Amino acid sequence: MDAIYAADLTKRYKDKTAVDGISFSVKEGECLALLGVNGAGKTTTIRMLSCLSEPNGGEAKIFGHSVKSEKDEVKKLVGISTQDTAVAENLTVEENLLFMTSLYLEKKDCKERTEEIIKMFHLKEVRNKKAKTLSGGWKRKLSIAMAIIGRPKVLFLDEPTLGLDVLARRELWKEIEALKSSMTIILTTHYMEEAESLSDRIAIMINGKIKAEGSLEELEKMTGQTGLENVFVNIAEQ
Amino acid sequence: MNRTLAFAKRNLVEMSRDTLSYIFCVVFPIVMLIVMSVVNQSIPLEAGMTIFRIDNLLGGIIVFGHTFLMLFTALTVSQDRYGSFLVRLYASPMKSRNFTNGYILPMILIGVLQSLVSVAAALIISFIVGYDLNIGGLLLAIIAAIPSSVMFISIGLIFGTLFNRNSAPGLCSVIISLGSFIGGIWFDAEGIGGVIGKVCKCFPFIYATKSVRSVINLDLSMEAFGLPIIVTSVVAIVFLALSAILFSTKMKADLS
Repeated sequence: MDAIYAADLTKRYKDKTAVDGISFSVKEGECLALLGVNGAGKTTTIRMLSCLSEPNGGEAKIFGHSVKSEKDEVKKLVGISTQDTAVAENLTVEENLLFMTSLYLEKKDCKERTEEIIKMFHLKEVRNKKAKTLSGGWKRKLSIAMAIIGRPKVLFLDEPTLGLDVLARRELWKEIEALKSSMTIILTTHYMEEAESLSDRIAIMINGKIKAEGSLEELEKMTGQTGLENVFVNIAEQ
Repeated sequence: MNRTLAFAKRNLVEMSRDTLSYIFCVVFPIVMLIVMSVVNQSIPLEAGMTIFRIDNLLGGIIVFGHTFLMLFTALTVSQDRYGSFLVRLYASPMKSRNFTNGYILPMILIGVLQSLVSVAAALIISFIVGYDLNIGGLLLAIIAAIPSSVMFISIGLIFGTLFNRNSAPGLCSVIISLGSFIGGIWFDAEGIGGVIGKVCKCFPFIYATKSVRSVINLDLSMEAFGLPIIVTSVVAIVFLALSAILFSTKMKADLS
């Protein structure tokens, strides 16, 4: 069974079609990068897949559960880290994590899971700091940690390294890389090197449509170009 | 329930770490209690003006304090809606009722604590000015003030749901001013009669003030306490239901 399956998925806002009948699937344990410029429809796509936005047309399923008719089931299976760092600013790192665990797990398991996540994301040195005092890199790390705390089977990362400096970005890549073996990931990005480095497959989105999809090698072969940037420009100009 | 309590705890902690919440919810009402008690000392007995006497003043101050719960509820909700934090929670298994109950419960707790602090301050002032306050009446007042707090918290939730973080506090300021004026907190609204008296009776605030004032003096008659507490409670329930419906509708609209 595919972890994620989308068929003719569409989202329209009044006179604008943000996502225009896209179809794709992601296998369990795979990492798919949705690559595209701002406004390509990447965020809208993962909003629909995580039940944050109702599709106008088509269907999408997470492990066989429809995002339209089985929202409660889907919500138990997915975690999302949004573009903005969605954290409770006045709570400490540990309190943010404990709060999120209590939404997903039994009370007796919350403390243990929080400790596990603090260790996994190397958050020990900032565990007692309020979220609002953290740097952008630490906040993003916390945001991703909060997204996986409920042990989701599918993780959506929306522009996870947007606005971070090169060192913070590389640090976060390591954390995302470590997650790849344990869950299915869709990440949206407009950084070519990020898509290249982290994903197993890349889907190039332009004006709400998936124009090309495959591994880097397959995309290079398809376009006759070398390197993701050249591939992307070639597809975008078609 | 677990999710509601977790969210309620988060809101309580967030508010407890905001210095402004102490200033507005605790310090400001206490300062007003002290200032108005000083003013009362300057009013000659012959004037027959008892609105600022500590037993009358306390009821008004308790309700006045609750108006700030409205402000902080509106601020918390509108601030959460402005950022991505609520979006993350929308993607979690939390339901609409977990959100509304999670916003309301900690505010009720703060309202009770606020009433307790006001009562304690009033007791100290009553010792200083030599006026006897009935302890039973004071304890009952803390309970009788709960419908008033629920009413203001629900209004705050409605404003926080419908308006953004810039507009919601402004609207709350209007209700704070209007509520304390026509709620008869700073003057005897019933006593003046005429158009102003009639206008005051059209709004629920005066009934909230009257019910708490009456119970402080252990006047539990239908006219002084019964009717006002019924009106306040009914209005509180209506606003509470309305706030839950509006939040749920807004949540569905955000997710459409």
